[in-house]
Amino acid sequence: MNLQVVYCNHHTANLGIRERLAFSREQIPEAYTALRAAFPRAEWVVLSTCNRIEVYTAQEEAEHVPSHHDVARFFADFHHVPLAEFFDDLVERTGPDVVRHLFQVASSLDSMVLGEPQIVAQVKEAYALAHDHAAAGPLTNALFQRALNVAKRVRSETTLAEGRVSIASVAVGDFGRRIFNRFDDKTVLVIGAGEMAAETLRYLHDAGARQVLVTNRTLSRAEETAAEWGGLVRPFAQLDEWLAQADVIVSTTGADPPLVDRERFLRVRRKSGRKSVFILDLGVPRDFEPAVNDLDDDIYLYCIDDLEAVCEQNRQARSGEVEKALDIIEQETEKFRSELYHRATGPIIKRLREHHHGIVSDELAKLFARLPHLEKDRADIERSFEQLVNKLLHPPLEALRDEARDGTPHGLMNALKRLFGLHDE
Amino acid sequence: MLHVTVFCFLASYLVAFGLELGRLLGRSAISRFVMVGFGIAGFAAHSLYLVNRSQETHLPPLLASTHDWMLVLAWVLVLFYIFLTLAQKELAVGVFALPVVLVLVGSAYFLNQEPYVTELNTARAHRAWAMLHTASLVFGMTAGAAGFLSGLMYLIQHRRLKAHHAEPTGLKMPSLARLAQVNRWSIMLTFLFLTLGFASGVFLQVVPQAERSPVRLSDPAVVGSSIVWLFLAAAFVRLLAGRTSAGRQVAWLTLAGCGFLLLTVVGLLVITGSIHSYSHTIPSAAPAVPARGLESDV
Repeated sequence: MNLQVVYCNHHTANLGIRERLAFSREQIPEAYTALRAAFPRAEWVVLSTCNRIEVYTAQEEAEHVPSHHDVARFFADFHHVPLAEFFDDLVERTGPDVVRHLFQVASSLDSMVLGEPQIVAQVKEAYALAHDHAAAGPLTNALFQRALNVAKRVRSETTLAEGRVSIASVAVGDFGRRIFNRFDDKTVLVIGAGEMAAETLRYLHDAGARQVLVTNRTLSRAEETAAEWGGLVRPFAQLDEWLAQADVIVSTTGADPPLVDRERFLRVRRKSGRKSVFILDLGVPRDFEPAVNDLDDDIYLYCIDDLEAVCEQNRQARSGEVEKALDIIEQETEKFRSELYHRATGPIIKRLREHHHGIVSDELAKLFARLPHLEKDRADIERSFEQLVNKLLHPPLEALRDEARDGTPHGLMNALKRLFGLHDE
Repeated sequence: MLHVTVFCFLASYLVAFGLELGRLLGRSAISRFVMVGFGIAGFAAHSLYLVNRSQETHLPPLLASTHDWMLVLAWVLVLFYIFLTLAQKELAVGVFALPVVLVLVGSAYFLNQEPYVTELNTARAHRAWAMLHTASLVFGMTAGAAGFLSGLMYLIQHRRLKAHHAEPTGLKMPSLARLAQVNRWSIMLTFLFLTLGFASGVFLQVVPQAERSPVRLSDPAVVGSSIVWLFLAAAFVRLLAGRTSAGRQVAWLTLAGCGFLLLTVVGLLVITGSIHSYSHTIPSAAPAVPARGLESDV
């Protein structure tokens, strides 16, 4: 039983290398074809996400197992990247370390954001693709199915996934939902555009927000964001008017000096009246002067540092659960390893038993043919012989089980085959 | 009939409260199950106690004594607590509601348990008015307690949000919008029920009752309740006049008004021992009944 993984991830390689070695969904079939052509007896699973590229190999026989260098060469040939540029960024693990590594990956212990939930779906998808392209086999099947179960166990027995750790999710989930009961009757104003605004809008949209106004100095970017979220573009020149209309304001321009100072927002408040307004200032430097928060009791202004501080608290709370998760993974790795090695010895035990019981049947048939008067005691005689065989086989089988605890006992299995004349089927 | 004492359900609520506090440190399904179990067990014992008392006095608990009246108030609050805890498992309702329940049950322990009147000396029509009076007061007090708790939660939630603090896992509270809604409704309902209670109390005074002496205007309960009522009337008017007033101001108003109401009523009851501290003549039909006049309480 040979397991191996060769990988690079956010710990070992920079984004530039990861981008060049990553497999797109469209490239996966071609990758499996190339791997199967080079090593037809091996099972393969390729896991490729933005943070990791991992190639898992499993094979029953010890001969012709792909080496670390073989997999590295495959990366180089497939992506047309010189080997020297990334070879040192690749890590190889074999045997039980592969099991432990995959369990940690699936449980999100190896993720950039500890406890993030997407990795389970990515592992599941990677395995499904390998299965669809006939690259997976019984070993990888057992390994990946168990990895998904372990991830589930870690999630249910620890609080590793609790507490939001991204800026946008903290903004909407930890603060917005504590101010407003619902978002479907709220007007969201987005000032500026960009990834952070888009992510925050996604969370607001999930929370029910439907009325979105977008304003930006560059009209084309405002139109893009508005089109994506079904919002309306509003001219930047009348910003005060949109500020007064809004219940939720997401600002990402990073203007210097701040776009909205205390006096400006005071004028806005005179227009809007005393209603609760939730302001997410995601700009660096800030778009809203901090003093805006103190204008009245119903203004809730959060800048990126406030949100990052909560993210960090949640991250720390999660990291307290890492030890518990690692314990679970250690138990499961041990259990899986033991099951796997017993599985390897299973066929030889079966053949040994069949071989001996076959001899017993033949000899008994001859005996009863010679001494027919024994027929009346046939059942008792047969039972005695069966017990005799079981007792004779007990010591070698126990030795095999003991050896299997520490790995596939190839030496002992070969010895048994030779001693008892068992031939490969 | 099963013998139940005040201590039985007081102890159950105390354990449930302890478990609620424990959940601030870490939450688990088992601790929630045990906590809700103690809450429900206490509620069952509480209900049984009121039924037993009603059978002993031959009067509904609202008309029996100040002790029973206070326990009915606590019973209604526990009912809300159990409902909210089962419906919203994330919310830490008990941390706020159970101390009020414990104070009410604890106060009831020291209150007079002697019935005000007997069935015999209460005319049917008069008894209906007395029921309306006491029930209005209980509902008004319940709304007041809800307002006090929601006002308190609003102020804590508001403070946390203004200070940019994350919500602790064990102390989740409803959104400010929801709490502001509860605040407004609490003030309105408290004011309306107390007004109804006062009006029915005045009517009970007007109806001639030969065997009873009138309530003195200088009675501490009358004076205290009147001040609270005036305060709530002012809050009610302010609420209606300023529809756009800030949620925090409403929360302070609710906290102060409803807190004052709870403090005054519970305090006066404990100090005076009854809703009204005066005696009246008992008709010869019921000589053994202590001299207390429920029909005139305000």
